[in-house]
Amino acid sequence: MDVRLERLSKSFGTNLVLKSLDLTFPERKFVTLLGPSGCGKTTLLRLIAGLERASDGQIFFGERRVDHLTPGERNIAMVFQSYALYPTMDVAANIGYGLKVRGIPRPERTEKVGVVARVLEIAHLLARKPRALSGGQRQRVALGRAMARKPDIFLMDEPLSNLDAKLRATMRGELKRFHLDLETTSIYVTHDQLEAMTMSDLVAVMDQGIVQQYATPEEVYDRPANLFVAGFIGSPPMNFAEVEVERADGAPVLRLAGRTIPAPAQFDLAAAPRRLVLGIRPQDVRMAAIGEPRAIPGTVWMTELIGSERLIEVEIAPKLRITAEVKSEIRAELNAPAAVAFDAAKLHLFDPGTGRALPRRA
Amino acid sequence: MRFRLSDRQVGILFMLPFLITAATFIVWPVAEAIRLAFYQYNPLRPHDQFWVGLDNFERILDDPLFWESFHQALVWTGWSILFQTVLGVGMAMLLHTALPGIAVFRGLLLFPYIVPTVVIALNWRWIFNSEIGIVNHALLRLGVISENIAWLATPDMAMASAIVLNVWKYTPFVIICVLARLQTIPTELYDAAKVDGAGAMRRFLDITLPMLKEVLVVVIVFRTIWTFNKFEEIYLLTRGGPGTSTFNLAVYAFEEGMANLRLGVAAATGVIMIVLLLVGTIVYVRVSGFGREEKPA
Ligand SMILES: Nc1ncnc2c1ncn2[C@@H]1O[C@H](COP(=O)(O)OP(=O)(O)O)[C@@H](O)[C@H]1O
Ligand SMILES: [Mg+2]
Repeated sequence: MDVRLERLSKSFGTNLVLKSLDLTFPERKFVTLLGPSGCGKTTLLRLIAGLERASDGQIFFGERRVDHLTPGERNIAMVFQSYALYPTMDVAANIGYGLKVRGIPRPERTEKVGVVARVLEIAHLLARKPRALSGGQRQRVALGRAMARKPDIFLMDEPLSNLDAKLRATMRGELKRFHLDLETTSIYVTHDQLEAMTMSDLVAVMDQGIVQQYATPEEVYDRPANLFVAGFIGSPPMNFAEVEVERADGAPVLRLAGRTIPAPAQFDLAAAPRRLVLGIRPQDVRMAAIGEPRAIPGTVWMTELIGSERLIEVEIAPKLRITAEVKSEIRAELNAPAAVAFDAAKLHLFDPGTGRALPRRA
Repeated sequence: MRFRLSDRQVGILFMLPFLITAATFIVWPVAEAIRLAFYQYNPLRPHDQFWVGLDNFERILDDPLFWESFHQALVWTGWSILFQTVLGVGMAMLLHTALPGIAVFRGLLLFPYIVPTVVIALNWRWIFNSEIGIVNHALLRLGVISENIAWLATPDMAMASAIVLNVWKYTPFVIICVLARLQTIPTELYDAAKVDGAGAMRRFLDITLPMLKEVLVVVIVFRTIWTFNKFEEIYLLTRGGPGTSTFNLAVYAFEEGMANLRLGVAAATGVIMIVLLLVGTIVYVRVSGFGREEKPA
């Protein structure tokens, strides 16, 4: 079942948290709401769940408008950030609670709980209370609670954020697998771009109550729609620098730190303003030999080893530094002269006035 | 030479003031009361006290007034605790909501609890006064009753009035304990239950009540002990009357000791009360499963 939001707004008092969102979550897809803390992700999820009322706008599950329905009537399942397991009930009762509330008789309930517990490999924990479980086990119980009910929509609010790094990596795969088995529409909230990029069919990047871009992970990474998305997605973050558009023999060129670089062919600069913001990912910057044509010279300002890669920050003009992510074998002396180079095809260009990416040629 | 105290000695030193106070004001009086329970002792003739074995206890168990007082003590305690608990939980839930202006009521909560019992009891005597009391006046004006009710002069009404006073004074204690616990229950639990389809009643029965269980066990034990032993509220409001109809064991012991000058009998009554409460508390705590922890993984 797909989920459709139309002009959905929510405010708490005078604090406008969600600003007229239009968004469709396609049936059986795994969609992630990604954005910094406080951007309204949880609020949006709670609206879909029916735990909050929208200030304005409409929510549809399939063709059915659900705004007036209670959470219990929407046939959703939700995994909370804190898991929200019922502390006074044992694991079996936690998983079976939704069934019990719906009046499923005990034998049937016990059987369903057993099936779920076997799938999640927590059958040996059924008699335990939540406080006697580890973080990963609690997580599975929370999933089991969702799974037992066969929901139409599966909502998750940062379900991995309380786990340690290693467990988080394993659980990412399990969650995705779980989504495929459940054959539901999943909506997943996170502030972690790695989770969003690895698990999602579609990513909605949110900031300040507005969806900044809604696309596949590849699209969001390769063609960020605006400066916010470009800066938020990718680690280390994209380099930004102000450039000016000039015309040399009719063909447009960019002036960066006193150098001239050819304008990237993928952008249509016809209607572009004179000043632009250029973006280039550290992964797309390489260290060049000094004196190499088209390379931009500077001095090494800082280096950092991050495992198999090394980050080299080169100052190419006062206060303007470009970070390159290169193989760790490549070394650089602090304050030594160096040069960076990049492929024009990898450049991103933004209008500093609107923050939007320049239109790309078809 | 300098003194050097070990950690252990320092610890004992810090505990000493409390131990001395406890010994003086708790252990010694209780021990003395237990001793007296086996003696005949008239406070006007303090020097001829003599050992009587279990005579005091036999005398008490043969005394119809003791059994009447015991029965009334159960009525008094049972209804008081029932109303305090139900009202306390209900009002705590109300105060826990985010209704506007509710903070004022939270502030007023301690009021009945801090006003001295004497002041309250005397006030209530006026309030319940059958001729000039506000209760009768109000009920008459509202047409609920057609003639004055003798609140404190008929046995059942006197007992009911005493219970109302006790409930009024001590419900705030229950509210505060329950409210403190309510505030520690994560709201996400209720959200999860809503998603699971549970309505308000189910959420109360399946989440709130089980989480209140431990605090309620403690509150009920303490309130039962205090109410069962309560003396001044009843005595100041009704003096145990009319007749002996609002005697509880504390009033009974007081009458035996002070009016009839049989301190040994009064002490024996006290011992019986201690035993009753001790046994009752142990059974109750056992049955309710308080503090039963399961072993972590
Ligand atoms: N119940 C509430 N009352 C008032 N403000 C709220 C409430 N819930 C959330 N907010 C506000 O809404 C904004 C978005 O919150 P939230 O949706 O939790 O963000 P996120 O999940 O993206 O971190 C925050 O500024 C937060 O203070
Ligand atoms: Mg959140």
